[in-house]
Amino acid sequence: MQIYLQQCAKCHGPTGEGISAAVTIAGPNLWAEDDPGRVMTALEVGPSHMPRFEYILSVAQMHAVSDYVAHTIAQIHLNGGDLSRGGELFRRNCAACHRTAVRGGGLVFVGTNAPSLTGKSAALIAGAIRWGPGPMPRFPPSVLSDHQVASIVDYIRYVQQPASPGGSALNWYGPVAEGFVAWVGVLLMIGIVMWIEKGGKG
Amino acid sequence: MIASIARWLDSRTRAAKFARSIMNHVFPDHWSFMLGEIALYAFVILVITGTFMALFFDGSSADVVYHGSYAPLVGVHMSSAYQSVLHLSFDVPAGLVIRQMHHWAADIFLGAIAAHLLRIYFTAAYRKPRELNWMIGLTLLLLAIANGFLGYSICDDLLSGAGLRIGYSILLSVPVIGPWLTFLAFGGTIPVSATIPRLFAMHIFLFPALIATLIGAHLALIWRQMHTNYPGKGRNDRVIVGSRLWPSYTLKSIGLFLFVFAVVAALGSFVQIDPVWIYGPFKADAILPGAQPDWYLGWIEGAMRLFPSVNTHFGKWLIPEVFFPGFLFPAVVFILLYAFPFIDKLISLDFRAHNVLRMPWEQPFNTALGCAVLAFLSVLFVAGGDDVIAVAAGAPLAWMRELLRYLAFAAPLLTGVVAYAICETIRRRRSRAIPAQPAEPFERSEVNVEMR
Amino acid sequence: MSENGLHRERPDLDQATERKIRTTAWFATGVMLSWNLGKRVAFALFPSLCAQQSEKQVAASNPSQLANSDRPSSSRASDLNLTLAHETHLLRRRRWGTFLVGCSFAASIAGFLLFFTAYWTGGSNQMLGGGLALFLSGWAAAFIFWAHLLTAHKEAVEPREDMQPPARDREEFEQAFCDGSRELQRRGLLKLITATGLGFVALTVVSLFRSLGFNPNNALYTTVWKRGQRLMTEDGKTIRADTLEPGSTVIVFPEESLGSEKAQTVLVRVDPSQLQLPDSRHDWAPQGNLAYSRVCTHAGCAVGLYLRTAHMLMCPCHQSTFDVLRGAQPTGGPAARPLPQLPLYVDSDGNLRAAGGFSTPPGPGFWGMPS
Repeated sequence: MQIYLQQCAKCHGPTGEGISAAVTIAGPNLWAEDDPGRVMTALEVGPSHMPRFEYILSVAQMHAVSDYVAHTIAQIHLNGGDLSRGGELFRRNCAACHRTAVRGGGLVFVGTNAPSLTGKSAALIAGAIRWGPGPMPRFPPSVLSDHQVASIVDYIRYVQQPASPGGSALNWYGPVAEGFVAWVGVLLMIGIVMWIEKGGKG
Repeated sequence: MIASIARWLDSRTRAAKFARSIMNHVFPDHWSFMLGEIALYAFVILVITGTFMALFFDGSSADVVYHGSYAPLVGVHMSSAYQSVLHLSFDVPAGLVIRQMHHWAADIFLGAIAAHLLRIYFTAAYRKPRELNWMIGLTLLLLAIANGFLGYSICDDLLSGAGLRIGYSILLSVPVIGPWLTFLAFGGTIPVSATIPRLFAMHIFLFPALIATLIGAHLALIWRQMHTNYPGKGRNDRVIVGSRLWPSYTLKSIGLFLFVFAVVAALGSFVQIDPVWIYGPFKADAILPGAQPDWYLGWIEGAMRLFPSVNTHFGKWLIPEVFFPGFLFPAVVFILLYAFPFIDKLISLDFRAHNVLRMPWEQPFNTALGCAVLAFLSVLFVAGGDDVIAVAAGAPLAWMRELLRYLAFAAPLLTGVVAYAICETIRRRRSRAIPAQPAEPFERSEVNVEMR
Repeated sequence: MSENGLHRERPDLDQATERKIRTTAWFATGVMLSWNLGKRVAFALFPSLCAQQSEKQVAASNPSQLANSDRPSSSRASDLNLTLAHETHLLRRRRWGTFLVGCSFAASIAGFLLFFTAYWTGGSNQMLGGGLALFLSGWAAAFIFWAHLLTAHKEAVEPREDMQPPARDREEFEQAFCDGSRELQRRGLLKLITATGLGFVALTVVSLFRSLGFNPNNALYTTVWKRGQRLMTEDGKTIRADTLEPGSTVIVFPEESLGSEKAQTVLVRVDPSQLQLPDSRHDWAPQGNLAYSRVCTHAGCAVGLYLRTAHMLMCPCHQSTFDVLRGAQPTGGPAARPLPQLPLYVDSDGNLRAAGGFSTPPGPGFWGMPS
């Protein structure tokens, strides 16, 4: 714990709340880092702006830190989520801003934007749900239980790379992109009738 | 073989003479006469694929729990209609490709109708004696738009649910009779169990029957009045020039049908449309952004977004803000379109019948008007998808919407003036190059009438 | 009987031999058929194989048969060379056409096989549709090549019917109609009966609307919300005044109608000192808990977005924004009316309850909506 307060609290805050990745310098929220292995990896590798602690801390110290983070600071336990239930909760609470295919963009009218969730880690998503970075509302445990958050995270992880059995998904833009493609189809058809009649003299 | 079949049939129907006249029917050789045909064949594809889907679709909003092969929805409560769409998409062999083909064919159907309409407008093919067919065509466009909306609405997914709410609000906003009209159409305040069966019945019985009937009337009139011809050497109001139905045109037409089918199949297999499983089932409390309609309603959606937020009161009664862009505006557009052949008569003071088309530069005012309306509609189409465009382009939406409001006025003016100037220039240049000639005298003996 | 007899007359053919002969015959027929078929396909695909033959045929046949009638054959000697050149051109065109048609149709067959295999082996959407598209476009191209290269194009000119219909036709029709109607007696009564009958039909049709339940009655004005209804989430959890922390939000329903579209309400909690509600609503938001109808007043979508920092509710459909602190007054986008507010109070157990119905009817506007 001493080591955590010395080395990590500068960015991640004394209780690990961070301010998620929405603000560049502050460290991510650690409330969902319930896997010691993942914390260990982060300490060794130093993802993104985070420094590498490989040469600063001994292995035992790093183990102590990761245990502390995983067992004391992490408040959201991200296991045993229910994919379908997560989908329902996602569509009710999240889809309005982040779109059903988690590509973001719902808030574009007011100048800010709900970020795309593709490529976001489970811990980051869970932390953001609880903490509410930027204009995002907070979902405290009284509103969404840990299990519900875990379910939502499961669903988002699934939809980050959803299967598109029907062909190109057009980046999941929906009917606007489909309309453009439909007109490409119509223009193709017009090209074909031009060929059929070879232009023609009318 | 053919002779014996023909003999058998002819001795019962006496159709040989009629069939011969059919085979000799003349169709002009110009690509723009085939635009309507694309729409016709798209409709045929819609009927074929639609019949297949109707065997699997369950138009009911009974609550069921999903147990199919799409994992993220297993155990979720949904309507029977939505579940049957999922079943069709994931568990019926070739179900997904048929469903996507149906949706793409609908989009292409409307696109071909729009292209056809533009060709008719810009070459003044609606003039006497074809006013009636112009109006039948417009009715077909209206029915096609309505049936398209019904079609994607009955999937009962979250996206179509948003569309249904908007359609409901527009109908509700009609002064005086709005609430009654809405309850008649939807069966109550949505979501109500009566809605889906009602829309389904209209989508597969009433509207297709009307469309098919009117297509029949449209074609019969074309057959009776024959196609128009583009102006040119040897073209006048009393002859039709082109190739005969048999064999030239038959081959081309069958080829076109197969090509339309092929393009629809290619789209249906390589471009995903309306992935209802990502949108999820319709739930009262769930919503998604980017809730656009299919493209043919985009202009109304755009008008609804650009229209200012005004509360209009008529005495103590309220006319909601959606009424003006959502109902009045499309109504006015269609009324003007219906009336256009007659408005055109007043503009050009030309009451005669015509079989030779008027090229766009020969009618600068009409062309300018058409271009202006087209520019206005284009702005509305952009506005209808402005949030998605803003996301894709990274532009600020509020700013973009202000710009579009100005453009909605500026773009038509500018386009109209430019189109008028271009038409005038072409017209002058042409009249200088070819000094005005008296109309070619027409004598029946001069025409090489081929009898076969 | 006689057939049986015939068979018995040939005892030298035992069954095995008979079978052998039959098999050989079938085999020979098959070989001949496939040889013919193969020859035809090969000639179709590679017309140069049969080029000599067809050139002879052309030379033998009357040139004007191949040439179009739009280029009348000429007997003048100076035209002879031209005719020959034209003939060769036509021949080349025909060979080229046959080749293209053959290729397109071969592609079509490949597409069909792809579709067929994909269908029976449970192939992907792309294989199925791609096969279908290849099959159909190949076939289509074959037809079009046929029309372009293997059909003699003739421009046909036909007279149209006279634009001015003869007045006699119409007069005859009128005459016939009048003659016919003169045979009717008591025409006035007939008109009356027809008109009344049609009126009844119309009335019947309109009456049937009743079965469709078209009378809205009070449905547009009221919801289940009334004084004393507890606020609940969709899964039936009650909401206490401190369930939410400032900046969080939850969707609530009246306890009697969970999951209802019209009664859905968004509960947000803000810092009470920031509230700018009108005086008449000063006690509607205990401890900063604000409840608004979640159905947009513009076009009826669910107002699903809440921006914590801007205290703003937003509808994702047409981007209307509402100011949470000032009674959900519209601040942007096309909506013109505020979201109806639900007055709240805290009961003795600390649960939030509605203190009455919505301030105005929820949902999109209609003609009779009170303002």
